[in-house]
Amino acid sequence: MSVLEKNHFFIRKLHSLFGVIPVGLFLLEHLYTNSFATQGAASYNSKIEFLQSLSYVLYIEVFLIILPILFHAFYGLYVVYIAKNNVLRYSYYRNWAFYLQRITALITLVFVLYHLWALRISSALLGTEVTFNTMVQHLSNPGMFAFYVIGLLSATFHFANGLWAFFINWGIAVGVKAQQVLGWVTGILFVILSIMGLQGLFAFL
Amino acid sequence: MAEKRIIVVGGGLSGLMATMKAAEKGVKVDLFSLCPVKRSHSVCAQGGINAALDTKGDNDSTWEHFDDTIYGGDFLANQTPVKEMCDKAPGLIYTMDRMGVMFSRTPEGLLDLRLFGGVKYPRTAFAGATTGQQLLYACDEQVRKWEDAGMVKKYEEWEFLSAVIDDDGVCRGIVAQDLATMEISTFAADAVLLATGGAGMIYGRSTNSIINTGSAAGAVYQQGVSYANGEFVQIHPTAMPGDDKNRLMSESARGEGGRVWTYKDGKPWYFLEEWYPAYGNLVPRDIAARAIFKVCVEMGLGIDGENKVYLDLSHKDSDFLNIRLGGIMEIYEKFHGDDPRKVPMKIFPSVHYFMGGIHVDYKHQTAVPGLFASGECDYMYHGANRLGANSLLSALYSGTVSGPAIVEYINGLDKSAKEVDKKHFEQELKRQQEWNDKIIKMDGSENPYKLHQEMGDIMTENVTVVRYNDKLQQTDEKLQELQERWHNINIQDASAWGNQGLMFTKQLWNMMQLARVITIGALNRDESRGAHYKPDFPNRNDDEWMKTTKAKYTPDGPVFEYEEIDNQWIKPRPRKYDVDKGASKNE
Amino acid sequence: MSREFIHLKVKRQDTAETSAYWEEFKIPYKPNMNVVSVLMELRKNPVNVEGRKTNPVVWECNCLEEVCGACSMRINGMPRQACSALIDKIEKSPIVLEPLHKFPVIRDLKVDRQVMFDYLRKITGWVNIDGSWELGRGPRFPEKDRQWAYQLSRCMTCGCCLESCPNYSERSPFIGPQAINQVRLFNAHPIGQMDREKRLDAIMGVGGITDCGNAQNCARACPKEIPLTVSIADLNKDTTLYGMKRWLYK
Repeated sequence: MSVLEKNHFFIRKLHSLFGVIPVGLFLLEHLYTNSFATQGAASYNSKIEFLQSLSYVLYIEVFLIILPILFHAFYGLYVVYIAKNNVLRYSYYRNWAFYLQRITALITLVFVLYHLWALRISSALLGTEVTFNTMVQHLSNPGMFAFYVIGLLSATFHFANGLWAFFINWGIAVGVKAQQVLGWVTGILFVILSIMGLQGLFAFL
Repeated sequence: MAEKRIIVVGGGLSGLMATMKAAEKGVKVDLFSLCPVKRSHSVCAQGGINAALDTKGDNDSTWEHFDDTIYGGDFLANQTPVKEMCDKAPGLIYTMDRMGVMFSRTPEGLLDLRLFGGVKYPRTAFAGATTGQQLLYACDEQVRKWEDAGMVKKYEEWEFLSAVIDDDGVCRGIVAQDLATMEISTFAADAVLLATGGAGMIYGRSTNSIINTGSAAGAVYQQGVSYANGEFVQIHPTAMPGDDKNRLMSESARGEGGRVWTYKDGKPWYFLEEWYPAYGNLVPRDIAARAIFKVCVEMGLGIDGENKVYLDLSHKDSDFLNIRLGGIMEIYEKFHGDDPRKVPMKIFPSVHYFMGGIHVDYKHQTAVPGLFASGECDYMYHGANRLGANSLLSALYSGTVSGPAIVEYINGLDKSAKEVDKKHFEQELKRQQEWNDKIIKMDGSENPYKLHQEMGDIMTENVTVVRYNDKLQQTDEKLQELQERWHNINIQDASAWGNQGLMFTKQLWNMMQLARVITIGALNRDESRGAHYKPDFPNRNDDEWMKTTKAKYTPDGPVFEYEEIDNQWIKPRPRKYDVDKGASKNE
Repeated sequence: MSREFIHLKVKRQDTAETSAYWEEFKIPYKPNMNVVSVLMELRKNPVNVEGRKTNPVVWECNCLEEVCGACSMRINGMPRQACSALIDKIEKSPIVLEPLHKFPVIRDLKVDRQVMFDYLRKITGWVNIDGSWELGRGPRFPEKDRQWAYQLSRCMTCGCCLESCPNYSERSPFIGPQAINQVRLFNAHPIGQMDREKRLDAIMGVGGITDCGNAQNCARACPKEIPLTVSIADLNKDTTLYGMKRWLYK
């Protein structure tokens, strides 16, 4: 038995956990920070500066954000691969959500990789600063803006629906009714996060 | 002696129980079944299983259970094995409970009991209305455990063709056919148990699964094993008539308060309650079936002039019905469309159970040493009429007898099957191969399924609730004609892979043999007893007919002999259900 | 709905190795038929729409009252029991019959579902009693627990849940909802729970409970309406806690 096989349960649980903690929490933080863009460039820039001034920021970024994301993403690719989707035959709401969870996983992955490259890694390599104005320039191309809107909605869907699955995968929401109510709650969460994220994006226009 | 090995044919309750018992004693079992054993017909049993557990403060006793069974069976069953069965029933239920059967419970977590026909107080343990399914699953699971331990090897999707019997007349194995590859093979064993169930398919439509052809019993009957009490076929009073089968509506429906009625003079008429005040709707099945038959056929009072009456549960609370009878509520709703919680069900009697079967001794051994039979395919526990919820009991109990009896038998053998001359196996294989080759080449003009339908129709018409000698005579003539026409079958499908038509044609031949045993057995028996009712001979005639019928095969048709029964425990008395049975004083 | 004929379109396959083909049939309509009784009618006169004699269609069925699980097939694309598929309730014509496609075909509509029974072995799908001899009364068990456990115990291994599960396929080693549901059943029984951890171990490896993706088609496909997704969620809790225990007590 390979190491992967031997630790299958642990790896799967880790995959599920990382989606929420820390990756999901980071998403919430990130969307919230971005929303300061609606209060103007100064407010936004000060929040960015604050975050960049955190002690151990590089370690936080690498160990609490990037590595968990990479693990969640690349193990997730395998999870996406083994599904044989059948939404056309069984077009139930939950089956569609299952399908979209996998589609949004792929979109989000592409989006995040690009986003990370364009706004974090390249600026780190070139030593440039990311500010409100950087964002305005970055999003000035309508195609790029659309890409961001899609990326954002994918991420929020993937998170909200993933949170629903998390509560089931950890045996917290067990009964049929509990799972239904949770479905509504996470659905509303998706809407709220999406609105918040879109407001942040539109503030850069 | 080499490794001990037995063969069990049939993976219903009796076969699985016997398998378990043999494996526990260290004997390896080859288990043959024509379907995955978990899909055996035992799953269809609904209402429950009888045992005098006496958890309801009724002072019930195993003796009372024994007396009800003998009385309900109209004094035809050999009494000693029935007594043993009733004595062992409570222990057996407790064992099944330990195996994890989800029996319904009392508020304090003990096994709950419900009322059934032909008895005065609750004696039937149950798991909703799918008790047979639950019991079978428990046995299936235990056998899977033995399979996992390497003690049981399953041959599922294999059909039994015949027993291998050597020159000493001892059974040494079987010939069976793989239902996918169609390959015919011999299997050696120190002993063989047939637990192949009933034969409802002889009647075309019944409450039985369509695998219940009785073909295995018919095969060994033609090899010289006697078939006993064939004429005693239970007609269940309450089934939903259908084109493909009649779906059982459990007796537990009446046990839980269901009432049978029809309209007379524009008003509901509860004829069972009127005719049988002591037992009401809970008269035994033969009595209830005859009453419904009389109301519909003789009096013409069926619903809308059809052969149907109401079985009414609509006055009961629907939560109560879902918990206690969910299984049959579902079946009726799914297959009929109406909700039986709201409107009365429409039902009519249907062929249901074979009290008769392969003749065996008290150890379940046939006259062929090494060949055993237990479960519905034997004849032992029900006499002329079976009480409801005694079938699951006899199926399981017979397995607890046959399994250990086989082990005892093989321990006494002086040579193992492996040491038997190969020629016996080769001969039987050759016979089956030739039979197979003959059938696969049949290119006449008859369709086997149509022939089967004709047989079923005439059997249902003439050899069920009410029997007349002239009709029985005509039926036998028709059966002989059908046998002739069988030789003119067109096989339709000559392929050597998964050929269901080929297997059906073989089964049909065996069914035809047993159909004659049933019909002529009924013709001979000029009396009325239990399920066997002749208006021309309306009374029970103990002097002449309190005997077990034994049919023996000859190429010219069955020949009959009659055997005295063992009635050492309870003196025969008239059977009436309009008054209390006057509990037996013979103890 | 009145019709003269029932138009059937059947996906056929002569042996396990040969390729599949379609054949169409017209069977005289009668009221109250179901897919099984239509196939039975067809056997009495196996002629296809082109008027050619053909081999009768092979399929599996036993009880015809939806308790044995034998007659699962895809009817108009959806896995279900053929016996309870009432013709009068099927609007579409032709009625398309196909074998379940998650299992190897034996012939025509008959498939090999042995793998489901193998899974039941894998999960210790039995109450491990010492023997079938008499040992007196079984354990007491509360009726309210019995009621939900009974729901789980009605699984007839028909395969509809696996057929509809997007994570059950040749790409994935997932054992599927039926076996997981049985773990919950046996772990609920007072004697069965003595092997609780063994059963949990069996579903915590590759292809185990973590491979469920919560598409929840299984609970909809189940003809017995077994709350499969609840069983999975409940065992998610048990395996999580047991997983931690297994680790912390090492």
